Amino acid sequence: MSGSTSPGNVLLEMQGIGKTFPGVRALEGVQLTVKEGQVHALLGENGAGKSTLIKILSGAYRKDEGQILFEGQPVEIRDPHDAQALGISTIYQEFNLAHDLTVAENVFLGHLPTKGGRVDWSTVKARTREILDTLGVELSVDAPISSLSIAEQQLVEIAKALNRKTRILIMDEPSALLGEKDLANLFRVVRSLQAQGIGIIYISHRLREIFELADEVTVLKDGRYVATRKVSEVTMDDLVKLMIGRDLKDVYPKRTVEQGDVLLEVGNLSQSKLLRDISFQLHAGEIVGFAGIVGSGRTELARAIFGADPSSGEMRIAGKLYKPHSPAAAIRNGVALVTEDRKAQGLFLQLSVRINTTISGLRRLTRLGVINFGKELTLVKRMIQELRIKTPTPSFLVVNMSGGNQQKVVLARWLSVGTRIFMMDEPTRGIDVGSKSEIYQIMDELTKQGVGIIMISSELPEVLGMSDRIMVMRQGRIVKELSRAEASEETIMQYAVGSAGA
Amino acid sequence: MSAFVSRITRRRSGVLDVFKGSAIMGPLAALALAIVVFATQSDKFLSGSNFSLILQQVMVVGTLAIGQTLIILTAGIDLSCSWIMALSTVMMTGLTMRSGMDPVVAIFVGLLVGMAFGLLNGWLVTAIRLPPFIVTLGTFSIATALVHIYTSETINRLPNVQTFLGNTFTIAGTDVTYGSVVMLILYVVVWFVLRSTTAGRAVYAVGDNPEAARLAGINTNRVLMGVYAMAGLFYAIAGLLLVARTGVGDPNSGGAGTQDNLAAITAVVLGGTSLFGGRGLIFGTLIGALIVGVFRNGLQLMGVESNYQVLITGVLVILAVAVDALSHRSK
Repeated sequence: MSGSTSPGNVLLEMQGIGKTFPGVRALEGVQLTVKEGQVHALLGENGAGKSTLIKILSGAYRKDEGQILFEGQPVEIRDPHDAQALGISTIYQEFNLAHDLTVAENVFLGHLPTKGGRVDWSTVKARTREILDTLGVELSVDAPISSLSIAEQQLVEIAKALNRKTRILIMDEPSALLGEKDLANLFRVVRSLQAQGIGIIYISHRLREIFELADEVTVLKDGRYVATRKVSEVTMDDLVKLMIGRDLKDVYPKRTVEQGDVLLEVGNLSQSKLLRDISFQLHAGEIVGFAGIVGSGRTELARAIFGADPSSGEMRIAGKLYKPHSPAAAIRNGVALVTEDRKAQGLFLQLSVRINTTISGLRRLTRLGVINFGKELTLVKRMIQELRIKTPTPSFLVVNMSGGNQQKVVLARWLSVGTRIFMMDEPTRGIDVGSKSEIYQIMDELTKQGVGIIMISSELPEVLGMSDRIMVMRQGRIVKELSRAEASEETIMQYAVGSAGA
Repeated sequence: MSAFVSRITRRRSGVLDVFKGSAIMGPLAALALAIVVFATQSDKFLSGSNFSLILQQVMVVGTLAIGQTLIILTAGIDLSCSWIMALSTVMMTGLTMRSGMDPVVAIFVGLLVGMAFGLLNGWLVTAIRLPPFIVTLGTFSIATALVHIYTSETINRLPNVQTFLGNTFTIAGTDVTYGSVVMLILYVVVWFVLRSTTAGRAVYAVGDNPEAARLAGINTNRVLMGVYAMAGLFYAIAGLLLVARTGVGDPNSGGAGTQDNLAAITAVVLGGTSLFGGRGLIFGTLIGALIVGVFRNGLQLMGVESNYQVLITGVLVILAVAVDALSHRSK
């Protein structure tokens, strides 16, 4: 069910918007039209340009090309002041609230009214109360922000925007941190804002919400404008196709399992209180998915196998005893760990694609410690080509790349040292659907070459789509092994939280 | 001003592009500017003999700065730098003049002492995991004490072999000391290692992200120990160059050289190396050292009091660090 009121006049028109950052063309020919009282959803994967576009609207960035028309008049938005003057307010994922001040103080942050040189608190409180009542929110105006839940804080942000006579409200992934009940409340609030004639730009990649809330949706892809559709005239599949250019069904490659020899045997692996008596086998050519809730010990397991943390128990690789004292030892044995946080633990952000790729395998490229640049460049170029890494040159700094490409660089690193046992912790977290699908392809290719993959993931569709076998962990133990055929999202969750009688 | 700042702080293509990248252009521009300004302030500035003087002064600080660069590349810092130099200096000279050791052997002992002290710093940073700032704050006092325990007077009348590097040859009206040549050779060697060897890459990796480095298979502790030990060696070499220039082993060379300490760190940061680690070019440090040397010399020629010289060096340090911090924020 989409927005209730029929939208009014055109409030905002963005035409031909372009923006370039060093080395990256972030936006190209983007357009967006928002009407009074309309909820206009902005859809697109990570790196599609949604953030950049709204930052231009809110004055945080300046457009390089294009025109912005407000109520038919061309305007220049040079900084946040200009945006606020036009009545454009933004609510980001990270709120801009002062934690130790009260609701009322935050709503009037930066423009407290004065009477005779002193703050007019009665006006502040009365007006705040008025706004909160319009939103149907029961918070006390004197409550300190630190005492509020995330959902309540979000409502205060909205109140702040209303206090500033907002004409256009931009909401950036507002539902990311909300539970079911708060979400319903948020929707109610959005609808009441609509009724007041405010134009709302709603950014989310949760299609369900868009269908419930929005009147129109604009899709961006790779910084380009794809299409605008009325929500009532489009299906979820249509939207996904517009976003990634292919059908939802094709995201996960069809895998034919050819289980080979045992690559890795783990027996009674334990680590203080975090891992308890873990035993399993990994075969060549298979993907074993590890599911479980946060804190179940999956990352600890991967780190222990990688030698990053000490553990007890027995491990064997191809039959031979394997006791890694450090990651270097693991790497020598053909084991790789793709960490869950690539920026903090995987990549050297200030260094180039080239260096990031070859850092673990320099031994093959050196003689007496001196690097053979020719060999290195050849290797890196080959990796860039094989993995379709989008980078202008091998010397491009990794920090300037999108999440998907960064992850590919990490994979390139491990591929170039002949890894046979891959451990991937949340391999597609924070990556756009297009790159996700490419990474799945790469994983599938690898297994065809006899590599074994341990995939830790909290995205159940991914676990179900990619794994041949699924291990569910809970509180440091493997509580259940499921084959792909017998697994479902529900079954996995049941074992993960312990309600399956496991 | 902001255009200037953004030019020298704009991220460029990584480690390998020494001269191609703008990472060097900023410091080079600053050096050129400084030379131009001081040339207008005193007509004695642009002369062969003055450049000789600058080079001689830069010789010591420039070498200290090599060691400091390695440490700062790993996101560390070394406050004991000039005192390790002093310790090596008095050992080299003292062992010769007081204990009758062969002067060449004494030089090697001095170098070893420097390296050992560096290893001590490295051990405290890696094994005990203390922040480098604190560690070197402590070891600088230890070094100071050791120096003064060993000798309280200047050691002079040194044999030629120890002061040899102070001898000069002439190029285009400028007297160049052999020591400066040694310094330049060291810069080239370090440049090569940082750019083209596994060890060099490891230094940058550890500086950029120690956790990722470990998970990439690098022995972070060994890299850090190596960096601090090598730095100690460079400080000791700087000590030898100091002996060559002054002709004496001076127990106070660390103290008057707390200025040298500051100057070395300033040189590194002015040269574009980031205090946050993982970014910087060794030749940038050389230019940074030249900037510091030019400033010292220029101000002296202008008759500026030494206290004000210190003040200005301080301002330079703050400017350099500010530019570094700003460049980390601009994304």
